[in-house]
Amino acid sequence: MKMTNIYEGSYQWIMFGRDENKPDKIIDTNQYMVRTANRCLLIDPGGVELFAPMLAAVLHYAPVEQITDIFASHQDPDIISSLGLWDQALPDAKLHASELWEGFIRHFGCESIEYVPIADNGGTINMDGVELQVIPAHYMHSSANFNIYDSQAKILMSGDVGAALEAPGAAMFVDNFDAHVEKMRFFHQRWMPSNQAKRVWIDRVRELDVNILAPQHGRMFKGDDVKRFLDWFEALPVGIAV
Amino acid sequence: MKVGQTKSQFVAVASIAAELSAVMDVAKEISLAAANAKAIAFRAGEKAKGFQPITDFINELAKETIELVEAINEHALSLYQLTVDEHRMTDAYNKFEAVSALAKDTAYEDSLKQPMLKAHHNMTECKRDFKSNVAQLLEQLAEVMHPARAARVIAANSRIEASQAGEYLQSLQAVAESVDNAAQVIHDNVQRCRSALSVVNLTE
Repeated sequence: MKMTNIYEGSYQWIMFGRDENKPDKIIDTNQYMVRTANRCLLIDPGGVELFAPMLAAVLHYAPVEQITDIFASHQDPDIISSLGLWDQALPDAKLHASELWEGFIRHFGCESIEYVPIADNGGTINMDGVELQVIPAHYMHSSANFNIYDSQAKILMSGDVGAALEAPGAAMFVDNFDAHVEKMRFFHQRWMPSNQAKRVWIDRVRELDVNILAPQHGRMFKGDDVKRFLDWFEALPVGIAV
Repeated sequence: MKVGQTKSQFVAVASIAAELSAVMDVAKEISLAAANAKAIAFRAGEKAKGFQPITDFINELAKETIELVEAINEHALSLYQLTVDEHRMTDAYNKFEAVSALAKDTAYEDSLKQPMLKAHHNMTECKRDFKSNVAQLLEQLAEVMHPARAARVIAANSRIEASQAGEYLQSLQAVAESVDNAAQVIHDNVQRCRSALSVVNLTE
């Protein structure tokens, strides 16, 4: 599992991904962690297959007892099917996820971890004084979907928005936007169901000051590539399967 | 725990539910046969005098079987939950061992010790609970065999009593036959439950 620090201030953002030992047939995912003074928030911690390499990687940065919070952007197995294992490892942690998905996500096993339901209009998660905004991203692609925005680090963890299907070992950041577009096109057209939801999301994100757009699959976008992505996405028709 | 073992536990516990459901149906059939026999014996009057108490006894046996099966069903359900729990605990412990191997020389590898100890404790407790529940369930299943055996004896007595019932001979013999068959089905189904459970119980 590769580890990349994407923000270093009084706290850290770390991206975990490109696990070389991942079974071939499961999709590669990016996991993120916000590490503050005494706490850690795991953002989309991944599927069951990834639990061991993910926790082992986290132990480079923090002890188990300081992993206090988990966030699931939506209900998909590659996002949170490891929950039953985190549930055994972190008996006092909280899971922040949509109230709509609670009955579904609990199928992965959530006996000890406290499920903190997020209402449709989002909210905040406070980590040792660092306030992270939970931004609604419904239908992008899941019917109840959220992103995490950190106004201090200027990072938007955008879930499946901005995702690309890449060859193993791809770079961490987009370095040639035009070449990257074809890796994203089908993913967005087929997985994103609603042009209306897409417009609402783009308008909302344009209001934010984003330096890094961090999706759950593929490369992250930095600086001007964030604006390039928003413009490209705005022009892209989605929901093509009907 | 091996994958095959977990699978066999899930399959065994699920197959018990299926076998018990069949036992329940047959016990209800016996109850119906008892009601039928009672009506025939009443019509036969003096000729089937010896048959009348037998019908009550058949009915009691059917009721007893139904009650026992209901209790076993409840127990089988909690055994299924234990199977799920044990699977989760064991899976978690195995994954923690994998984390421990991968986390060698990380800054915070020691912090894994406590969750690992707890996971090991939970897994051991779950395995112990599972074994003791299987043993209890085997005892309950043995209990269901008693009324089934008794029913076969009663069926034999019924045939003798039926032979003295004149024109009601055939009807009462049919009742005896149906009780005998039902008892045999219950015996076979319960035996299959016990075999399935014994396999699980022996697997370590």
